[in-house]
Amino acid sequence: MQHTSKPGGPGLGGSEPRLRSRTFPSMGTVVSLAVPAAPGTAPQAEVEELEAATAVVEQLFNGLDRAFSLYRPDSEASAMARGELALADASAGMRRLYVEASEWRTLTDGAFTAERPDGVVDLAGIVKAHALREAGTSLLALGLKDWCLNAGGDVLVVGSPIPGSARPWLAGIVDPADRTALLTALPLGNAGKHALATSGTSERGHHIWSAGLQGVRDEGFRQVSVAADGIITADVLATAIMAGGARTLALATSQWDVEVLAVKNDGGLLATPGFRNVGARNS
Amino acid sequence: MRLRAGISAALASAAILVVGWQAGAHVSESNASAVTTSFAGNTGGTNTGPTANGTTGSSASGSSPGTGAGSSTGSGSSSGSSTGSSSSSSLGASAKAGGTYAGTAMETRFGTVQVQVTIKAGVITDVTALHLTDNEQRSVQISARAAPLLRSEVLSAQSANVQTIGGATVTSEAYLTSLQAALDAAHF
Repeated sequence: MQHTSKPGGPGLGGSEPRLRSRTFPSMGTVVSLAVPAAPGTAPQAEVEELEAATAVVEQLFNGLDRAFSLYRPDSEASAMARGELALADASAGMRRLYVEASEWRTLTDGAFTAERPDGVVDLAGIVKAHALREAGTSLLALGLKDWCLNAGGDVLVVGSPIPGSARPWLAGIVDPADRTALLTALPLGNAGKHALATSGTSERGHHIWSAGLQGVRDEGFRQVSVAADGIITADVLATAIMAGGARTLALATSQWDVEVLAVKNDGGLLATPGFRNVGARNS
Repeated sequence: MRLRAGISAALASAAILVVGWQAGAHVSESNASAVTTSFAGNTGGTNTGPTANGTTGSSASGSSPGTGAGSSTGSGSSSGSSTGSSSSSSLGASAKAGGTYAGTAMETRFGTVQVQVTIKAGVITDVTALHLTDNEQRSVQISARAAPLLRSEVLSAQSANVQTIGGATVTSEAYLTSLQAALDAAHF
């Protein structure tokens, strides 16, 4: 690995950025925060800044998990699921996120929904993205200008892995047929979208709820990745396209400024232009 | 005959795909039909060449429901042009049926649109927009649509070159053996 201190670095074929990252478990997965390890600054101060920022993000994730997790019997969401707490009496944060999720249900023609088939309010499909969004706001407030947050495969970035340069963050997308391999990569951040979310199942043949749409199982997708400027948009649309199939895919690409890479059940790919010849565009 | 039916179904699927592609882009139906006719010629039992004209309605062969759906949107006049080999009635040649089929360039409210479908051995391998104008902002919507993509067309990435890994949510346990975990460890 080659290091460089020259800003305004080259394209994908150039030197690799030096990064530092810290992780913590939350929401049933692992969250990682990566920042550039700029040469020339005192490593100890850098590490302390990163660890302080990670602590802020961790606190935020865990706080939301305590309220929204259906796996925690003592959570607000669990109380609602048991019928002990009405939505109208829920916390402002819960009601706000429910309203947001409900709006997305309308916008996606019902492909995304905030309610389980049994009527229980389930915001699990949106709360991780919400946590990433809130964490991003906090990191910006802390004055961090270049970072990459990854929560179990959903990504939100700001700036560049080489501070001061035009170099984008490069996010690999896992091949659902081989989790040790990458299908492709997409530049995020500078001159690109800031958020990337992926919905899918690693089990062939398994398909998630389909909003009552016929033919979704056969023509459906095994994995859907959506890049957008906001993590909520990316996450909701990835989930919605998984559920709604080709019809929702067409809706998403016509209504939102997004890049989509969908892996079909038969292994074929569907992709918007941003996923074509990414290397050529950046070299 | 079974192979022929399969190819017909594949071609009909192409027609449906193109219609869906267009309908999704809110192109008016009368325009969409012009593209599908180049496939309707193939679905007729007696006309096997892509240049077959006209009489799609007279097809009496046992067409699959998919074929029916495909040809029903045709306007009746073949307006597509094609290059490449055309399917013939012999089984051996049919199995290798393929080529590149282009629809007619159409003026839509999005600008000029022309679609090309590549078929190899009865399987659609690519659908591309041959000609798009972007003098209006709306035409960007068409080019922003998701289209079939060959794996060789995407950037082949190695985990060593990326800074983060996107994928369906991994559990805490699965994280331990994930590519992201390897990256995080390397960035310690």
